[in-house]
Amino acid sequence: MTGHLVLKNGIVFDPMNGVEGEAMDICVSNGKIVEKAPNNAKVIDLKGNMVMAGGVDPHSHILGSKLNVARVTSPEVNRHHPYPATSKTRSGVAGIIPSSYATGFLYSTMGYTTVIEPALPATKALGAWEEIDDIPGLDIGMLPLFCNSMISFKYIEDDDISGLAAYIAWTLKKVGGLGVKVVNPGGTYAWAYGKNVCGLDDEVPEWDVTPRTIMTGLANAVQELGLPHQMHFHPNNLGKPGNVYTTMQQLDTLKGTKPSGKKKEVVHLTHMAFDCLGVVEEGMANWKDVASGGLIFADYYNKNTHFTTDLGQITFGQSMTMTGDGPFQHSLYLLTGGKAKWSNIPVDVELPGGAGIVPFTFEPKSPANAVQWVGSLEFALSIKDLWRFFLSTDHPNGGPFLKYPLLISWLMSKKQREYWLEKVHKFASERSTLAEIEREYSLNDIAITTRAAPAKILGVERTKGHLGIGADADIAVYGFNPEKTDLANNPDLILKYFTQTKFTFKGGQQVSKNGIVGKQLSSRVISVHPELNEDLSKRIDSELEDMMGRWFSHSFSNYPVPMRYRQHLEMPTVIDSTAIQA
Amino acid sequence: MTEVKDIFKDVPCTFCGCLCDDIIIEVDGNRIIKNTNGCAISKERFLGHAENRCLKPTVNGKSVPLEKAVERAVEIIASSKRLLIYGLSSTENDAQREAYRLAELTGGVVDNTTSVCHGPTILGAQESGEATAALAEVRHRSDLVIYWGANPAAAHPRHIPHYIRQPGEYIKDPKKDRQIWLVDVRTTTTSRMVDRFIRIEPGTDLEVIQTLRALIRGNKLDVSEVGGISIADLEKMATSMKTAKYGVLFFGLGLTQSYGRHRNIDAALRLIQDLNAYTKWGLMPMRGHYNVSGANKTSTWVTGYPYAVDFARGYPRFQPGEYTAVDMLARGDADALLNIAADPVAHFPREAVAYLAKIPVINIDPKINMTSKIAEVNIPAAIAGIECDGAATRMDGLPLYLRKVIDPPEGVIPDRDILRMMIKSLEKVIK
Repeated sequence: MTGHLVLKNGIVFDPMNGVEGEAMDICVSNGKIVEKAPNNAKVIDLKGNMVMAGGVDPHSHILGSKLNVARVTSPEVNRHHPYPATSKTRSGVAGIIPSSYATGFLYSTMGYTTVIEPALPATKALGAWEEIDDIPGLDIGMLPLFCNSMISFKYIEDDDISGLAAYIAWTLKKVGGLGVKVVNPGGTYAWAYGKNVCGLDDEVPEWDVTPRTIMTGLANAVQELGLPHQMHFHPNNLGKPGNVYTTMQQLDTLKGTKPSGKKKEVVHLTHMAFDCLGVVEEGMANWKDVASGGLIFADYYNKNTHFTTDLGQITFGQSMTMTGDGPFQHSLYLLTGGKAKWSNIPVDVELPGGAGIVPFTFEPKSPANAVQWVGSLEFALSIKDLWRFFLSTDHPNGGPFLKYPLLISWLMSKKQREYWLEKVHKFASERSTLAEIEREYSLNDIAITTRAAPAKILGVERTKGHLGIGADADIAVYGFNPEKTDLANNPDLILKYFTQTKFTFKGGQQVSKNGIVGKQLSSRVISVHPELNEDLSKRIDSELEDMMGRWFSHSFSNYPVPMRYRQHLEMPTVIDSTAIQA
Repeated sequence: MTEVKDIFKDVPCTFCGCLCDDIIIEVDGNRIIKNTNGCAISKERFLGHAENRCLKPTVNGKSVPLEKAVERAVEIIASSKRLLIYGLSSTENDAQREAYRLAELTGGVVDNTTSVCHGPTILGAQESGEATAALAEVRHRSDLVIYWGANPAAAHPRHIPHYIRQPGEYIKDPKKDRQIWLVDVRTTTTSRMVDRFIRIEPGTDLEVIQTLRALIRGNKLDVSEVGGISIADLEKMATSMKTAKYGVLFFGLGLTQSYGRHRNIDAALRLIQDLNAYTKWGLMPMRGHYNVSGANKTSTWVTGYPYAVDFARGYPRFQPGEYTAVDMLARGDADALLNIAADPVAHFPREAVAYLAKIPVINIDPKINMTSKIAEVNIPAAIAGIECDGAATRMDGLPLYLRKVIDPPEGVIPDRDILRMMIKSLEKVIK
């Protein structure tokens, strides 16, 4: 194992440190980036190849019961995509929902080193930790769901933000979570009654809470705790034409949440491609009249700075939709005329939860799919501040993470967009302005939206998303010289270079070279442990024992994930939340 | 451990898929003396844990040290061309994960007991998807519970008393506010416990389900009865199902392994999907072995597939009927068997067992079973959830941490450690 390393003559893009395409050397010692490596360091000459920090993906469904249900019910999507074992690495399958080992390896070969599973049912966390043991080469975080839990509702109903914050703190510690995920607040609960919610003030069955009080309550609790990552938000009305307006209403509602720290943003709106559909002028809110909501939402984004967002780009071809939004998934199943394989997972104690899974193929010739495709691209090419934004496909919803190079090519190359606009249904051109947009992302823009910004949005920017002194030595070297390569006019090169790095280093160790993983490195888990004061801590212990005792089907003491499954993986960040009064 | 020295609370019971985790176990010295809250089977499993044990590793019936037994097992594995690894549903997840590693290393096949129980359930779900249920949600909300081809009173004794006939947040009186039905071909212990028993003719499950689907959709049928039930009664059933607030269908091997098999499940899944257009319904297979759900889960994340996985080409392939244990043995495809925590000789069809007698068998199990009798190598294992810890998955997908409440017999180690020894020594042989 090499503890020390010098990467010489790379052309570096490190926007967090203001480095934009400079030739420089990077020194690594004991897993960290350092000023100067010892004399015995291994030297690799990068010969002008492009260097970025390891990619950071804060929204990718890479583990958990929903993914396993999808793998079980749809073996056909992986059947033709074997991932053979080598003497150093395990085997698997590598279709749109790869198996665990393959997931880690595929991310490594693409130059990604940090990935967040954005929907963890906390009661099933033990299984998630076991699974992470079999996903190599990454730093992984998990966002437990809090939005449709009867426990959250009880505190929100009582307007007890301390209690809500304490419940979140308790859960993050007991299961090793990184932040708070909210999915269709109130709607997934209503799904236990076969219902959904759509308005901010809709009633939620049995409880005196509304989508408005749930989302504001949770956003406030996250700020009270001072969590590094703001509330991670999948809004109501996902996937409904015209929902760009209700999404903006929901974001407006969260403007009242006061940031507790330096960070201004109080909510992360995730997979905007699914949340920001417009309708044609005088049209109805249905798929026939769907139009791009990209420009409308870009305008809102440019004017409002209290939120961050990611793309959730659809990429065409087979995908696997899976969300904690049970009623949405059922509506998608109905949209296929009841032909699709629809799965639904209620979750004990997310009480009720309700993830849904529907295999779905996005067709270039489908008018609705073409419009959804174009809307998010229009958005990405129309926003000013890239630091509040990152690239995603909401893997595997909009398409697998393996399609990131394709997404990058759409953003970097007008030529590539023109080619695709020809391929897809004409509504993409007629119902958006994409054809007229000249902007092309630079490599620096790509470095911002795939590393630096997502690290900041997650609140892990001290060690992730950059190549400054003290950062984790997570480094991606791409096999081209940016000064000599015209990517915008050769989009196929974008696909080639971004699909496979020349080298990927994780914590200073070389994990892959030219697409071959040579080292099966154990992953680590990044989590946040908020410390409460003694009074609040005592209070939450007894209140949760009472509620979980009544509402769970298993014993209270069997809820936490035992240390035996965590201690070899977890790197918890302890934060001080003792100021919250009991 | 958080427990007082000799009393262990909230212990999950490692017998059936209910994985009841409210068991209190009292230990005196190296003996379990009391099991509180467990069913009769659970009590037998804990209190009788020391009975009928395989205590020493054997090769050809002769006691040998563990290392020797492992050495012989590795010889068998290394010289086999087509190793079959089978069982895994009555052990914990770590052992399963080691078994996949071993299968990959040897280019063998790994299958779990799903292939002889709810295998068709998975095939049905591959056709249609699966609208599942969860036990807490059922307790809090369901006003209509249907068991179909299942006999929980015998096979899952606490399923009804612990999870179903309990008050929930929105079902205050589980006797009045919740109806329990049973659909089966004969009277059973369960049929005497339920509110309504619907007896259908054997082999007509598929027809009865499809009839219910048609009636729920409002179609008129020009027959007077299906499966021995009058159309008028079936119409009433359909109406009750459509008007229930929250329904759940629990089904057993009577639906899965009877005439129609995966087609029955496909139809049942579609029935539940249809009902969700009117109200809320889910379904759940009554998984038998305590960790057969876990075997599917671990196999799925590691290999992509839930059972019947072949590594002959260096990567996982899935093919039930081809890589399922019974089929491989009946066809004579495997040339060695590594059996872990299952008893194929007791449960497999005659052709499969007859073939087993002809090939070397390595058997890892805590107890002496039928397979021990024909195995060339027997290696005793600690009982997961009693003598070693681990994780397992309840029938509704909930993972639970299993406890060690007592030491295993001297020299006896967990399945996972035995498998790790084999892998380690095999890696040397291969290199």
